[in-house]
Parts: sequence; structure tokens; C-alpha cells
Amino acid sequence: MGSLLEVKDVKRSFGSLRALDEVTLNVDEKTVTILIGPNGSGKTTLINVITGLQKPDEGHIYYGSTEITGWSPQQIYRTGIARTFQIPSMFGKLTVLENLLVAEKNHPGESFTKSLVRRLWAKHERDAVEKASKILQLLGLSEQSDMSASLLSGGQMKLVEIGRALMSDANLYLLDEPVSGVNPTLAHEIFARIIGLREQYGITFFIVEHRLDIALQYVDYVNAMASGRLIAAGPPEQVISDPKVIEAYLGA
Amino acid sequence: MTPLDQVILFVVDLSALLAVYLIINVGLNVQEGITGIPNFGIVFAVAGGAYITGGLSTRIAVSLLGTQTNLDPIFDNISVLQLVNPILRSQPPTAIALLILFLIIGGIAGALMGLISSAPAVRLREDYLAITLLAFGEILNVIGIGYKPLIGGPIGVNVPDIFGWAGQYRFYAGTLVLLLVATAIFAYAGYLIKTPLGRTLKAIRDNETVARSLGKDITQYRTVSILLGSTLCGIGGSLWVLYSGAVTPTYARFDWTFLPWLMILLGGMGSSRGVLVGTVIFVALNKLIIYYKHAFVGILPFDIVWLNYILLGLITILILIYRPEGIVREKWTAPKQNLSAADKEVKAG
Repeated sequence: MGSLLEVKDVKRSFGSLRALDEVTLNVDEKTVTILIGPNGSGKTTLINVITGLQKPDEGHIYYGSTEITGWSPQQIYRTGIARTFQIPSMFGKLTVLENLLVAEKNHPGESFTKSLVRRLWAKHERDAVEKASKILQLLGLSEQSDMSASLLSGGQMKLVEIGRALMSDANLYLLDEPVSGVNPTLAHEIFARIIGLREQYGITFFIVEHRLDIALQYVDYVNAMASGRLIAAGPPEQVISDPKVIEAYLGA
Repeated sequence: MTPLDQVILFVVDLSALLAVYLIINVGLNVQEGITGIPNFGIVFAVAGGAYITGGLSTRIAVSLLGTQTNLDPIFDNISVLQLVNPILRSQPPTAIALLILFLIIGGIAGALMGLISSAPAVRLREDYLAITLLAFGEILNVIGIGYKPLIGGPIGVNVPDIFGWAGQYRFYAGTLVLLLVATAIFAYAGYLIKTPLGRTLKAIRDNETVARSLGKDITQYRTVSILLGSTLCGIGGSLWVLYSGAVTPTYARFDWTFLPWLMILLGGMGSSRGVLVGTVIFVALNKLIIYYKHAFVGILPFDIVWLNYILLGLITILILIYRPEGIVREKWTAPKQNLSAADKEVKAG
């Protein structure tokens, strides 16, 4: 198994705050890796930097053998990296189904000239609706599919976030706290689905998550950050027994 | 004039104004309502369509009709049109062909103006974009007044009488054409909202960051939206000049930016029906106030000239306080396909 995502010596500062301080980590192909760390330790910034929403000040990011440092978010999305957001960010006035459909890649109906003739995009749209409906079914959101997304509960919005990411057929998913605010049963289900997707399609997941009680039993690797630095990486048992991690994050 | 004539005249006049505002409001709604681009400079595109049509239409008519004259189409405008108009009056198909050509030119002019006014700003965040566009509003009037070869300076120019063939029914024919174009554009806007393009534009409006992270090129989509909206505004300006038969450099921000904004605010942004409702109510109300305000002379403690400004301002404040989403709330436009059918399919599979 090679590494699918490689972050090398990445630095990013906001004024005098060092959000990322020489972070280096690997995410191996077809694994589920979580990233833990106290609030403000730079986890979300790392995801933003990987997905192109923020540019790193220094360092390199590789996706497979391709360097993607400094690429725009849309280039990164098209190359096969999809993400979700920590604070659920819906397209509030669109329906749940439409929220997923927006994520469809290379939809001919999004081009102005092709949008003029329904025949040129109707089939693609039908397929996309079918794909989206299947994903909603998977996430247990079929009944909400025609609801406006802003009316969903926080937990349901989390699911729509994941659903939207799944529409992209990406190889690497960066999920920012996918189960925060989700009830324990559903949270377990979400992680079980993640494992299922990994087994079935060989998808790789890199997940920021605080709820170790739920997440740990499902994941292959754990990375721990504190104050913008990576302080530990390895199999779950090893990382959570690491004194540095206990001091910075887990508490005595 | 009999009372019936007066009523007919009022309705025809009202319909024409309604049609032109509907076209421009759809243009604004594509930008602000659907894509979330606060274009406070649509007057730029409207006036662009109007002035370019004013400046080119006589010149084009002269060269296409092969009229032999040494007179200047702008500076000897009246004399040149005395040669051109009889030809157009006797050849309705030629007149209509010219009309279509002028509308295309007006649309292109509008698109260009939209691009000029927004190109430097399209990468900016909403609030800065709005300020930049606001500043563009008055530029064209300054050019129109100062550069005489465009539309003859402050006094303006007449344009070829495209509807002259209808004789005494000239304004009826003009109104009909305006209504037809407005209907077609309105229908297109309804269609656009249901296309994947419309959906993506709305997604960008609702959450730019997420749309970006889902691979959407925000700058490109905003440009498409501005081009499309400005084209419609340009067509509106062009039609209004052809209908009125003349153009002066007086396209003010109040009439062609402020009022359209009020109309879509009142009706409901983002919704096609909302735009229609807002336009009808507002234009009718404005016209009625202007028609009847003289009845209030002496009763009101201020000059009646200000009556419609005050009333329209008051209405705006009331809408924003009590119904900020407008009369018609944006409707969820789910894809045509029956979802329960799709669900069954999934369950069966």
C-alpha cells in the first residue's frame, strides 16, 4: 500500500498565530485515518490547506505522485479529493436532493450553451438523480429529499455533507467531524458505512473527529496534533497511550 | 379623446412599461436573485443597450437600405430619418429584420457593459462588488452627454421608426412586440432555474465556499450570470429606445436600477413568479400615482412631485421590515423526475 496523500513540512500562519507548524503526515491508500487534537490545534486549517481553500505558506502536498500544492479548490476536487465541513454548510434554499446534485462532476447541464437544450443534459440528470437517491437512501434521508436543506436538523445536515461528498466519486475523502452532533446509533452506522465504502470501493478516508469512543474501533491509523504540530502518528492503541497525546488531548 | 380611448392608451402605455421592466427585472434577478451578485449597476447595461442602439440604428439603417445621402445620421438626424422612415413604413419585413438586428446589437452592448463593469470586480466579495458596480452607474450618461457622435449630446437623437408600418397603431404594435419579447425572456428564466446551471448558480449564492470545494469555478459562473443578465438588460434598453422612437442621455439610476431592485424585492428574489408579481404591482402602482397625484395638490404638506418617491420608499421600508423575502417565496424546484419512483427503483434493486 502506497501513500495516497502526503503532507510535507507544511506551514501556515495567520498573523502571529502558527496554525500549522511543519506538519508532515501520510495517509495510506485504502485506509481510514483519523486526526485528533485539542480545539485550535490546526486540524481544520490542515484540511483547508489540503483542499486548496487556503494556501500553505511553505511545504508540499502530494496526491499520489502529483504535487497539488497551491492548486485551486476546483482542480483539487476534480482530481479526486472531496471534503465535508465541520459546521454543516448547506445550500439552504435548495432541496436536500439538489444539494447532492450540485456536487455532480462534469454535468453537461451546467454549461450555458448545453443548458439551453434539455435533451443534451436530461439523461445525465436522470442518472445523477438516481445516484443521489441511492446515497440518500444509504444515509437514511430519502424522506427528506424534497425538503429545503435549511430545515434539516444539525445531525441530518452532517449526513447531507457526507452525501454531497459521496456524489463526487472521489478517491480520498476528508471529513471534518462527520459525527459531531449525530446520535450514537447513527454515528456508529456512519462509521460502519465508511468502512463498507473502503472495503467495497477502496476509498481512502482522512477524518477529523473528537468522538474517540465511537471512532477508534473503526480506524486503522490515528494522527494527533497539538498547537499546529503533529505530535504522534500510528495505530490507535499506540497513539492513545502516547504520553504527549495524553497530556495535550486526552487528559490524565 | 373618449374615455375608452384614454383607458386603452393607459393600458397600452402601462403594458409597454411593464414589458420592458419585466425584461430588465429578469436580467437583474438572474444576477442578484439566482446567483447572489448584488448588481447595483444594471443601469450601465440598460443605458448601454439604449445608447448603442441610438447611436448605431440610423447608421445601420442608412447603409443597409442603401440610402444615398451626404447627411450625418446623428447630427442631421431628422433629415436622414425622413429618408429612412418612408422605406421602413412600406416594407414591414425589412423593419422587423432591422428590429431583430437592433435587439441583437442591444443585447451584445448590454453584455459588454456588464462585462466591463463587473470584470474587475467579479473576484471581489459581495459587498465590495456592490460598491464597485454602484460607481459605474453614471459613467455612460457622462459619455452620452459629452461625446456627441454617440447620441447627439444632451438633446439626444431619434431612431428609425421600426413600427411605422402599423400607422396609427404604431404604439400598439410596439407594445405587442415588447410583450412578446418579455414573455419569451420570462419563459426562459423559468426554464433556467430548473436547469443544472440554474441550480449551480443558486448553490453559489447560498454558499460560495462549499460550492468552491465542490469543484465549481465561481468566477466563471458569476461571469456567465452577469453576461446573461446584462444581455437581457441591454435588450430591454434597446427595445425601450425603439419603442419610444428616441433616446436622450438621461437613463437614471433611479429608474433603471433602483426601481428594478424594489420590484424584485417586493415580488420575491430568486423566484420567477415573484419577479412577475413585483413588476406588475410596482409598475401599475407607480403609473397610477403619477396619473392621479394631481388630485392631491394642496392637500399634502409637500410638493406632489415627491409623492411617488415617498410612497415607493415607504413601501420598500415596509417590505424589508415585514416581508424581506418578498410576496412570493422562492419555490423549491425539485427535478422533474418523480422521486418516489426513484426510491422504489432503489429498493427493488
